[in-house]
Amino acid sequence: MKAAILTDTTKCNGCHECVAACKKQNHLALDLPRRWDAGDGLSAKNWTAIVEGPQHAMVRKHCRHCLEPACASACPVGALHQTKLGAVVYDSSKCMGCRYCMMACPYGIPRYDWQAAVPYVRKCILCYDRIAEGRQPACTEACPTKATIFGDRDQLLAEARQRMASNPGKYVDKVWGEYEAGGTSVLYISNVDLSFLSAGHTLAPKPLPVNTKVAMEAVPFAFTGVVACMAGISWIIERRMKMQNGEDEPK
Amino acid sequence: MNRVRRLKLALWVVVGLAASVAVARFLFGLGTTTNLSDANPWGVWVGFDVMGGVALAAGGFIVTATVYIFKLERFHSVVRPAVLTAFLGYAAVAVGLLFDLGLPWNIWHMIVYWNPHSPLFEVGWCVMLYLTVLGLEFFPVPAEEFPKLAGIRAKLVKARLPLVIAGIGLSTLHQSSLGSLFLIMPYRLHPLWYSPILPLMFLISAIALGLAMVIFESHLTAYLYRRKPETELLSSLAKACRWVLLIYLAVRAVDLIVRQQTAQLFAADWRTALFWFEVLLMAVVPIVLFSVPRLRHSRAWQWMTATLAVCGIVLNRLDVGGIAHPRPDGSFYLPSWREIAISAGVVSAATLVFLFVLEHFHVWEERPADPDAEPLKLPELDPVGATWLGVPGIASRTTYSLGFILAAALGFGFLHAQPLESRGIDRTPAQRARGGEVLWIDGNLDGFGVNFKHVEHEKREGGKESCVKCHHMNLPRDENSACSRCHRDMYLPTDAFRHDWHASSSGAHVACYQCHARGQVRTAESAIRCDKCHKNLVPAGALIKVKSYRAVAYTEAMHRLCLGCHIKKAQEKNKPEMTRCDWCHKDKREVIDSREIAIRRQGLMGQDVVLPPKEAEK
Repeated sequence: MKAAILTDTTKCNGCHECVAACKKQNHLALDLPRRWDAGDGLSAKNWTAIVEGPQHAMVRKHCRHCLEPACASACPVGALHQTKLGAVVYDSSKCMGCRYCMMACPYGIPRYDWQAAVPYVRKCILCYDRIAEGRQPACTEACPTKATIFGDRDQLLAEARQRMASNPGKYVDKVWGEYEAGGTSVLYISNVDLSFLSAGHTLAPKPLPVNTKVAMEAVPFAFTGVVACMAGISWIIERRMKMQNGEDEPK
Repeated sequence: MNRVRRLKLALWVVVGLAASVAVARFLFGLGTTTNLSDANPWGVWVGFDVMGGVALAAGGFIVTATVYIFKLERFHSVVRPAVLTAFLGYAAVAVGLLFDLGLPWNIWHMIVYWNPHSPLFEVGWCVMLYLTVLGLEFFPVPAEEFPKLAGIRAKLVKARLPLVIAGIGLSTLHQSSLGSLFLIMPYRLHPLWYSPILPLMFLISAIALGLAMVIFESHLTAYLYRRKPETELLSSLAKACRWVLLIYLAVRAVDLIVRQQTAQLFAADWRTALFWFEVLLMAVVPIVLFSVPRLRHSRAWQWMTATLAVCGIVLNRLDVGGIAHPRPDGSFYLPSWREIAISAGVVSAATLVFLFVLEHFHVWEERPADPDAEPLKLPELDPVGATWLGVPGIASRTTYSLGFILAAALGFGFLHAQPLESRGIDRTPAQRARGGEVLWIDGNLDGFGVNFKHVEHEKREGGKESCVKCHHMNLPRDENSACSRCHRDMYLPTDAFRHDWHASSSGAHVACYQCHARGQVRTAESAIRCDKCHKNLVPAGALIKVKSYRAVAYTEAMHRLCLGCHIKKAQEKNKPEMTRCDWCHKDKREVIDSREIAIRRQGLMGQDVVLPPKEAEK
C-alpha cells in the first residue's frame, strides 16, 4: 500500500478543522505572524494551512510527500527520508541545519524554526505513526465535509477519476500530483488551476532527484579520470625533461 | 603609520564588530540576527562565504598544477602564497558555514550519516579532505622554522606530488559540485542561470578565478609591503586566464542557444540586466583588457582587470546562490548588517592570519620586515631643560586591540534585542457592532462580518433578564457595555482597566494609595481589585467569569462567548453543523487566515476559558 491523501477543493469550505486537528495531534504551539513567514499560513508551527486559490477556492496546503522526494535526495545527512508507506519524515537528531531541503522542495513546503537558538526543519509528516497503526491522519479524520480523504494511492486515483467522470465539466481534467515531479502522495482535484502550489510552474513528470543523481554518479569517474590524467601528464613531462637533460649532458 | 598597519587596524575593527554579532548569532539564533526567511532560506553566508569562498580559493590547485604537474618552474615563486591563500580560504569557508548552519555543533554528522546522492554531502567531504591536503601541502613552510619537525617535513616534501594530484582531483569535484547543488531546483533558479551543465560552468569559472586571484593577491601584497610585483610573470597567467574565460563565455553562449533561452536575454526584467552586467564584469571586459598586450603588461591595468574578474565571478556565485531566484510571492531578501558584518569579519580574520604568516614564515624568498616590530618609543628626559622630549609612541598592537574592543562595543550597542515575534500582529482596533434586532458584527470593518440575531438570542435566553449572561462585565454607569469597549483590539489582548482615567486629575481624583498598597512596588498585582469600588461591575449569572482585567482579543472573545453555547445546543438539538465556522461565517473569505483561526482555537482549547457548569445555571 502507498498511503495517500486526496483533496477535493470543491468540497472544502475552509473551516480549518484540519489545521486545528494537526496542531493538536502534533502538539504545535501557538503561532503568531513572523518576519520570516512566506505568507501562505505554513510555518514551523503550522504544518497545514488553507490558502485561497483562484476564484476564492479553498486549497489545503501541506507537504506533498513526493514519491521521489527532492528534499530527501538533497539532505546531506539523510535526516529526511521516506517510510515504507510513502510518508516523507524527518529525523531531527541527524539534521545539521543546512536548509538545502527548503531550497530543493519545488512546492516550498519545509519551514524553519527561525526564532529558536536550536532550530529544526518542520513540515507535515503524514502522521506516519498513526498510519503505521492503520489509523488515518488527524487532518482527514477531522474534515467534516470529507473534502480531504485518506487511502491507498491507486484507489484514490481511481476515486478521483470516477468523480470527474460522474460530474462532467465540474473539474479541471487533471489530478494534481499524479505525475508532477515523479508523482506525489498528496493528490488534488479542483475546479481551478492549482499550479500556484508550485510557484506558478507546471512541473514536468521527471523526478527532480534525477538531475543531481546524474552529476553525483559521475563523481567517482571524474575523480579517477582527473587523478589519472594529472599523474600521466606529470610522468610524461618529467620523463621528457629527464631525457632532454640526459641528451644535453656531455658524454 | 604604514600601509600594512592601516590595513591591519581596519581588519581588526571589522573582526571586533563581527565578534559581537557572533555572540548574538549563537545566543538568539538565526531569526533575530539574519534576514533569512522561509522563502529565502539561503542568504549571503551561503552565497558569499561558502560558494564565493570556495571559488576564491581556487588559486591553490591551479598554481600547484602549473608548477608540479606541468613543471613550469618559473611560477615557483607564487606557489607558497597561493597555497596559503587557498588553505585560509577553505578555513574561512568552514568557519562561515558554522555561522550559517542552524545546528553547527552537528557539522560532524556528515562524516557519520551518509547520503551520497546529495551534492552537498559531496561538497562537504571534498572540502574536509581538501582542507587537510592543503594543510599538508603548506605544512613544510612553517616547519622550516622548527628543527624538530624536520623529519615530518622531509616526508611531506617527498609526498608532494601525490598530495598535489589528490588536491586537484578534490578541487575539480567540489568546484563543480557547487554547481550541481542547484541542479535539483530547476523551478527556483532563473532560466538564464539554470543549466544542466552548471557544474561544468562552475569548474571553468573557478579555474579563471583561481588565476585572477593569484594576480590580484600578488599585486595587493606587493603594494602593501612595497615590493616589486612580478608583472611579467603574472602577465602570462593573465594570458591563460583570458583563454579560460573565452572558453567559459563560449560554453555559456552555446548553453543558452541549445536550451533555447536566448529570448530571455532581451526580456524586460531586472534579472536580464543583472545577467548582462555579470557576464560583462566576469568575462567580456577581462577578456578584452587581458587581450591588449600593453594593458596586460601594465601593473595597474593587470591589477584592475584581475579585480574585475574576481568581483564578476563572485557575483556569479551570489546570483546563482540567491539573487537570481525569482520569487512569485514577491518575497525579497536583503542581508541584514549583522550578516554582512559576519561575512566581512571572517574574511578579515583570514586576511590577518595571511599577513601574520607572510611576516613570520618564508612564504616569499625573503621575509618582509615586521611592520609591528617597532618598539614602544618612550619620551626621553632632557636633563638641561628638565623636560620630557618626544611624544609617547603607541605600539601597533595596542592600536589594534583598541580598534577591536571599540568595534565590538559599537557592535553590541547596535544589537538591540528584537522581539521574538520580529513583526508581531498589527494593531487592529475593533469597532462596535452595528444594528438593532440583527447585529452586524464586523469588528475590523473590512466588510466580512457575522449577522448576529440579537433579538432571537435574547428571547431564547429568557428576555431582558438574560442580558447579563453574555454581557459579563459592565463598565460603571453602563447597563450592558458593548463587547468592543473592553475587547478593543481584533487580535491582541488589551487591558480593560484604564489607568490614565483613574490617575488623571480630571478623572476620579484618586491618589495612588487608594488602590496600591503602601510600601510595595505599585503594580497591577499590588492593586486592589476593581470590584472593591465598582460593585456591579461583574453581574452574577454571566456565562463567562471574569478572572483578570486583561481583555482577550475581540475575535477570541466573540468565539469564547458564542461557541460554548453552540456546542451545547448542537448536542441538544442533534445539529452538529451548528459548531461549524460556516454556520455563522456565511462568506468563506471571512475565515481565510489560518493563523487567526489557530490563535482563536488555541484560546478555545486553553486553560483559562471558564464556562459555568450546568448545575450552576439551574
